[in-house]
Amino acid sequence: MCRSFGPVQAVRNITLQIGDGEFFTLLGPSGCGKTTLLRMIAGFTELDVGEIRIGDKRIDILPPHRRNIGMVFQNYAIFPNLTVEGNVAYGLKARKVGNAEIATRVADALALVRLHGYGARWPHQLSGGQLQRVAIARALVIRPQVLLLDEPLSNLDARLRVDMRGEIRELQQRLNITTVYVTHDQEEALAVSRRIAVMQAGRIEQLDTPQAIYRRPTSLFVAQFMGTTNVLTGVVGSRTSGPARVRVGAAEVQVADLDAREDESVSVCIRPEALQILGDGQTAPAGMAQLEATIANAEFIGALSRLDVTLAGGIPLKIAVLDELAGYAKPGKSIRVAYDPSRVIAFRRDGS
Amino acid sequence: MKALTIAPLARLPVAMGVAAFLFLGLFLLYPLWGVLSASVLTPDGTAFTFGNYARMLSRSFYRASVVNTLMIGALATITTTLIAVPLAFAIARLDIPGKLLLIGLAALPLVLPSFVGAYALLLLFGRAGVVTQFLNSWGVPFGSIYGMPGIVAVYTLTLYPYVLLPTVAALKAIDMSVEEAAQSLGSAPARTFRTITLPIVIPSVLSGALLVLIETLENFGVPAVLAEDMPVLSVETYKLFIGETAANPSAAGVLGVLLIVLTASVLIIQRRYLASRRFATGARVAPPLIKISTGWRIVATSYSWAVVLLALVPFFAILVLSFMEFRGPVLHAAFSLKNYVELFASAQRPLANTLLFATLAAGAAAFIGVPVGWILVRTRSVWTGLLDVTATLPFAVAGTILAIGLVIAFNAGGLVLTGGWLIMVLAYTVRKLPFTVRASSAILHQIDPALEEASISLGVSPLRTLIRLVIPLMLGGIISGMVLTWVTVASELSSTVVLYSGPWRTLTIVMFQALEGTGAGVAVAAASVLIAITLVPVLVAYRLLRRYELSML
Repeated sequence: MCRSFGPVQAVRNITLQIGDGEFFTLLGPSGCGKTTLLRMIAGFTELDVGEIRIGDKRIDILPPHRRNIGMVFQNYAIFPNLTVEGNVAYGLKARKVGNAEIATRVADALALVRLHGYGARWPHQLSGGQLQRVAIARALVIRPQVLLLDEPLSNLDARLRVDMRGEIRELQQRLNITTVYVTHDQEEALAVSRRIAVMQAGRIEQLDTPQAIYRRPTSLFVAQFMGTTNVLTGVVGSRTSGPARVRVGAAEVQVADLDAREDESVSVCIRPEALQILGDGQTAPAGMAQLEATIANAEFIGALSRLDVTLAGGIPLKIAVLDELAGYAKPGKSIRVAYDPSRVIAFRRDGS
Repeated sequence: MKALTIAPLARLPVAMGVAAFLFLGLFLLYPLWGVLSASVLTPDGTAFTFGNYARMLSRSFYRASVVNTLMIGALATITTTLIAVPLAFAIARLDIPGKLLLIGLAALPLVLPSFVGAYALLLLFGRAGVVTQFLNSWGVPFGSIYGMPGIVAVYTLTLYPYVLLPTVAALKAIDMSVEEAAQSLGSAPARTFRTITLPIVIPSVLSGALLVLIETLENFGVPAVLAEDMPVLSVETYKLFIGETAANPSAAGVLGVLLIVLTASVLIIQRRYLASRRFATGARVAPPLIKISTGWRIVATSYSWAVVLLALVPFFAILVLSFMEFRGPVLHAAFSLKNYVELFASAQRPLANTLLFATLAAGAAAFIGVPVGWILVRTRSVWTGLLDVTATLPFAVAGTILAIGLVIAFNAGGLVLTGGWLIMVLAYTVRKLPFTVRASSAILHQIDPALEEASISLGVSPLRTLIRLVIPLMLGGIISGMVLTWVTVASELSSTVVLYSGPWRTLTIVMFQALEGTGAGVAVAAASVLIAITLVPVLVAYRLLRRYELSML
């Protein structure tokens, strides 16, 4: 599929296959083309090139109202002139479903999203979370072939967001409905998806399971986009057997799997939580490498503590630990840090 | 007894609120009370009676005036809505050429005097009208435009923006996703329009339509020009009060009270309806233009331009006619500046009066309206609600009735104002106050109150904060409110016709008197000058007005 708006190519050469009953997420920064892609599936944005099929049926030639796709909009798009019931019944009426059946299906749909008894309310009497549920019920009641969710949680507060995403996931599993979810929040994407497509500049950067995308990003962009990571630039040292060694300033980082020539400069990524602080006299466990560092700053944020340390040569490094900081949290203190070389990822200059 | 204490921060709104209540009490409520009491007192003013009502309503002529007024109002409201809603749809949703110009021209009838429009219709299609005579000379019979048809036509062409502008705004304010949601649920575009789009904009359409109804009920100039023998409430009230044979304040009071009851009920319905039914949509993305075939595009374009231009034809005709020569009421096809020469020879003083009064009233309306607008937005109390109602009331009071009340109230006793210019400026200020109040409260809603709190916490007194910080920020709204006040006062007729005296005639009075007599040439020149002095400020402040005009409806 391709789509351009004037000189801007919003979606370039994307080919995707989404499985039956899969929870599939399009993840990326704003302007990456994920919403455009979703709107192409819904029928609100036309394709320049390509086609979209559900099963064997080609749908990109159908107008939006003939596609039988349920969509939940970012701002919910609840009809202000209709009650909750009227909103949920809307798609059934358009399909000329009988009144008795409408009543039972609307009641079932409202019960499904735990809004039983809210049918007669007006949209302005509901909270954001409740509007969200109405939007979901309205999209599900038509028994769509595919459910599209466009940043459905972005207008909710943080606490509700976590509850709601769990509910959406649970509902999707129960109904086993093919779902395409758009978000810019990587944590949300990791929590709900079976597979994630990380998008940038209209392209899919990486398409894989949440674990693989987090642990084994295939590009520097994905590594940096998926949560906090340390990016160190260095030069590949002599290649012998065992882990490769990359010189970063005056320190040396081991990388288990490196596809680069000697003396080539590379970026090395290591997640803060993949670094372990060794106590005095403690040695690194078998198979782990270690680094010397000096504490620059320590921050206690509840479940985690965050440390900013500097390696020999002044290169900064972030560390996240679950233990409390007592004992080693003094700025200026020298510490030793252990890590598993298989959790260090290196990218060439071109990002691969 | 506990002494009344006022929190330091509340002192300023309380002081300004009291001043506003005093002004409106003295020059709005007290005069209206005068009209009401005139209607329920025996002619000698000593005893309470409903006899005046019984006597007036027993006469079929005055019953007809009530029926006619309502008929005209209902018809004009329907025709206006029928014309404006498709036009609004075309402007908001279809790809028609010259849209920006179209919207600009469509808003003009709001500020052009409807009275002048009626006069133009008379000159073109009246008994001695240009078009009528032309058609007659070819043997084509032409029906009468006097009475209901002419009045409804003028109202339709001059008042349709009241429905058009809010409807366009409402159509543009629907978020695109709402219509998309309907479509993704399986609703075809036509059904989506019928079940979602239309219900969402209907409150705006109706609230505009009710404003049209109010305008038609209280308008004096249009029926004064076109009604001829047909009784209409506002005109009959005037005739009874001014009375060529014997003035009859109690009879005029009865009609005045009836008219106020009508307009006030419509206004209450309008406000209630607005409050309960307006859907807060707040579009993030306005819906895209609808793709239509070339044929439909031609239809939509011709329709839109035809309506907008047709509404401006009367005013254009006046400008053309003003350069032709009149002999008595009869027009001759010869170019001449004679009308203007005559106007400036005989009506220099009325022209000066018009400009002076408009300026004074615009200043006074801002001086009172801006603090009132500030109080309405920034404070919450029973008194605020009462002030809101009182400051909106002038919308519901016909100019004729307010003027009659002012004459009754200030004709004798401690404060005598009749016969002077001050009473005219007071009437204008009270009548146009809602413009400046609405304009300032609309812009204040966009100014974060934290700015004021920051200023006060930095040690600047509330009054100085208002003057130095808030008013400069409100300037756009204030100026647009003042421009509207200025242009509508310049073309005001209904209260002027009751209140003016010898040296204080205005241009509208010159025109009004010319209707009776032979000075058609001077009247047309006066009308042209009036069109010019209403158009120039509007064009100068065009951008500001576009931004705030909706809030003033």
